[in-house]
Amino acid sequence: MKYRPLALFSTLVLSAGLAACSSSGDASDGAGGRTALDVWLMRDSVSADFQKQFETGFEKSHPDIDLKIQIQEWEGIGEKVTAALASNDAPDVIEVGNTQVAQYAQSGGLTDLSDRVAELGGSDWLKGLAEPGAYDGKQYGIPYYAANRVVIHRTDLFEKAGVGAAGIKTRDQWIAATGKLDKGGTQGIYLPGQNWYVLSGFVWDEGGDLAVESGGEWKGGLDSPEALRAMDFYRRLQALGKGPRDSDEAQPPQAEVMAKGQVAQIIAVPGGAKVIEEKNPELKGKLGFFPIPGKTAGQPGAVFTGGSDLVVPAVAAHQEEAFTFIRELTGDAWQKKLAVAMSYVPNKTTLAGAVSADPGTAAMAAGAVNGHATPNTPQWAAVEAKNPIKEYMTAVLTGRDAGSEAAKASRTITDTLNSDS
Amino acid sequence: MSTVRERSGPRKVSRPPRAAPGRPGGRDGARPGSLWPYLLIAPAVLGMLYLLVYPLARAVLISFQDFRLRQLILGDADFVGLRNYRTLLGDPQFWEVVRRTFVFMAVNVAAIMVLSTLVALMAERLGRAARTVVLSSLVLVWAVPVVAATTVFQWLFHSEFGIVNETLTGLGLSSYEGYTWFAHGGTAFAIVVVLIVWQSVPFAAITLYSALVTVPAELYESARMDGAGGARVLRSVTFPLIRPIFMLVLSLEVIWTFKAFVQIWVMTCGGPGEATTILPVYAVQTALAGQRYDLGSAASMLTVLLMSGVLVLYFRQLFRQEGEQL
Amino acid sequence: MSTSRPSARRALRRLPLHAAAALTVVICLFPVYWMVTTAFKPSTDIQSYDPRLIPRAWTFDHFRRAVGADGFALFWRNSILVTLSAVLLALVVALGAAYAVARLRWRGRRQFVLAVFIAQMAPWESLIIPIYIISRDTGMLDRLPTLTLIYFMITLPFTVIVLRGFIAGIPPELEEAAQVDGCTRAGAFRKVAFPLLAPGLMATSLFGFITAWNEFTYANFLIIKQQDSRTLPVWLSSFQSTFGTDWGATMAASTLFALPALAIFLALQRHVAAGLASGGVKG
Repeated sequence: MKYRPLALFSTLVLSAGLAACSSSGDASDGAGGRTALDVWLMRDSVSADFQKQFETGFEKSHPDIDLKIQIQEWEGIGEKVTAALASNDAPDVIEVGNTQVAQYAQSGGLTDLSDRVAELGGSDWLKGLAEPGAYDGKQYGIPYYAANRVVIHRTDLFEKAGVGAAGIKTRDQWIAATGKLDKGGTQGIYLPGQNWYVLSGFVWDEGGDLAVESGGEWKGGLDSPEALRAMDFYRRLQALGKGPRDSDEAQPPQAEVMAKGQVAQIIAVPGGAKVIEEKNPELKGKLGFFPIPGKTAGQPGAVFTGGSDLVVPAVAAHQEEAFTFIRELTGDAWQKKLAVAMSYVPNKTTLAGAVSADPGTAAMAAGAVNGHATPNTPQWAAVEAKNPIKEYMTAVLTGRDAGSEAAKASRTITDTLNSDS
Repeated sequence: MSTVRERSGPRKVSRPPRAAPGRPGGRDGARPGSLWPYLLIAPAVLGMLYLLVYPLARAVLISFQDFRLRQLILGDADFVGLRNYRTLLGDPQFWEVVRRTFVFMAVNVAAIMVLSTLVALMAERLGRAARTVVLSSLVLVWAVPVVAATTVFQWLFHSEFGIVNETLTGLGLSSYEGYTWFAHGGTAFAIVVVLIVWQSVPFAAITLYSALVTVPAELYESARMDGAGGARVLRSVTFPLIRPIFMLVLSLEVIWTFKAFVQIWVMTCGGPGEATTILPVYAVQTALAGQRYDLGSAASMLTVLLMSGVLVLYFRQLFRQEGEQL
Repeated sequence: MSTSRPSARRALRRLPLHAAAALTVVICLFPVYWMVTTAFKPSTDIQSYDPRLIPRAWTFDHFRRAVGADGFALFWRNSILVTLSAVLLALVVALGAAYAVARLRWRGRRQFVLAVFIAQMAPWESLIIPIYIISRDTGMLDRLPTLTLIYFMITLPFTVIVLRGFIAGIPPELEEAAQVDGCTRAGAFRKVAFPLLAPGLMATSLFGFITAWNEFTYANFLIIKQQDSRTLPVWLSSFQSTFGTDWGATMAASTLFALPALAIFLALQRHVAAGLASGGVKG
């Protein structure tokens, strides 16, 4: 399509003309008989360097495939993937959030990869990625990478307050140490009031859950005694800093708040440390990591396993090549490189050693052992759209009664999950 | 909007004798049976049929089907009759949302119309330079992307980082230190209203201003010669003349505030509780988040029906006046 | 001295008017000001515990990052192309329909007006699924002309309605007089009514421009695989990452994003003034 700005009217005619004739999109086969493989990865899922390195390496060992990686934006990605799955001309591989796989699988838009699991070494996959990638006993999502939250702390502030990070093994020790740090102009921890992933971790740690299923019926679990204990702990921890009670970790981005100084700790994925150092180079070398402490010293705190799976749309034109791509990217060799380059937890427990050199990723991998996922039902997306958990947290933090607010939020979750799916 | 009929009062003063009364077909020579009008509207009609009526018919169809992500991808939807409508209408929350939507619309539209009329009248009276400044700043507001504007409002009222709390605390109102504006139903609602009014006034004011400047100056002169004061000129000359455009803007604002979504979604997600949940937010929460396109379609159809209910009087008037006009 | 007193009194009389104008401008511009200064603030000063009216320091980093984002020039071109085509198409089609409605007598006119009005209420948010299906089945996905046609349709009813009001507001006698002077009907319309329509054309084209310029949902849903066909709102959303949004760059992008609308307004406004002066409104 060639447009001349000065001849807009002819452009109109031209677009009408183009509109009238339908063609089948771009030529799907690249030059020289190579198969063009379209892959969608998310922004920040791979760095530009890693992408280049991978593309070169991949095309060298598979000269018949012309790999085309497109980077997608986070905003509106749900709609975009939906549109792609329903189209006649879908990309061949798509990266989707691990908790999103179920709803696409339910819709029949994905290729069932169950019989390839063994070939991919599926027995070693991280549970937090593999389980949400399965629906109805079949594997649709192939674990790609994981990330979970750790405590990022300022080593200099810890030193000044006489607190040793290595000694923090339980949540009680953690809160005592944070209290010591929260003196003068320093915030012990910057914890915004609506970080519901962190609260979820505490809930799992206490032995509760966000929602439980019995006999096909879901029931919200925020009003269980375990969950109430978790909320109480969150409230006590949150009070040891100036985190806003009515917003989440993205508003404002908490890494930027920490970069501004005088914040001893935040709870974030370790990659956040890079952002902090980039925004405030003075903090280089002053950031340390430890896994979120658990109730007892024997086990790290429970965390939400975030991350991505790779899926193949049922309508994708190049199913076999798509699988080849997945085998390479989720295979041990590239996983090790990816984990180091991007500070991720690799997709297999057996690969955890690959990241031991990096303190942040190592702390994350240690925490990943106790990883959990949100309730595995396609309806969970509707809960997050309303997010009664965030509201519940703000209500409690601004002084309302935890018991009745928790009952209210749980009711909303129950209703949403059971509204016929 | 019968401009002609409403104008006939004041216009008489200055209207020159009818020109060329003897032409066939009456005034302005429109001959019934001529093809011209149909040729002129043909592109609009064809466009509307293919790009609006056809998709709309399919949307109505979807609202009577069991249509989810699965049906979108695989395309084998079953008819379920009125089930989707029954689901929505049977939800006790739905009627509460409808009531809130009407309150929300009324408050917004009233504020928008009053403020934009004042701004338009003011702009008309300003000198050229001042007027350009005012109109340009209105356009700038209008042009700011919705998400950016919403984010800025969120920042202004942020509990820890917002300049509003900072200023109020600085003025000695220490109870506003860290005040959580978005955690209270009333204040969250008010902030959303302020944002929507702020974003809507520019369009309304500029359109009303455009209408004001097309009022022929001699009408004012003759009215003033007749000894009418400023308020009277406004009431008996200006307002009747801009009334069609005023009613038009009013009904458009009814439609748009009824559909306000992005601002609320970004700012409060309909919370706290349900304090800012109006129909479009409700539709997304109940239907689209779970990819229930059937429920979403049904909710849209109900919204259109409710909106028509508000505007039906206007439509009747419009229809009747169209008959009288010409 | 004696000559300055009446003008001083006049200025005094106009003081409330100017005060109101100043207040309007301040209220309008404060959030815009906040957006623009945020775009110039160093990241550490955005959303700080100590918000300041005037930034402590200035930086162009955000603008550099915004302009340097992938595909910026391409998205810009696509947006301009789609938006202007849609607006012009809507103006041409609507002008014909509005003239027919406001000036001619024909059967079905009332029904047409009502239909146009009802079209204004179209639930575009739920038309997206049918439109997606139709485009998919006719091979129109991933194409800019599809977006053009949709934006044309979104703005058309509004354009017809507003232009009709403006045409009805122009006394037919002016055209009749021109016709008496020997112009054809079309010529009379073009020479006499068209310049008077300038404010209406301005309001409607600006509306169409801003609507189409901002549109994200359809652009995101209908342009799937062709990254080269994406429009600017997609660019606006590209500053979000897993670590939160890069607000500095977003605000810089938003500032750049709002500028064309202002430019179009200023350009059209001159035209409006010229139209008013030459159109003989004042007699």
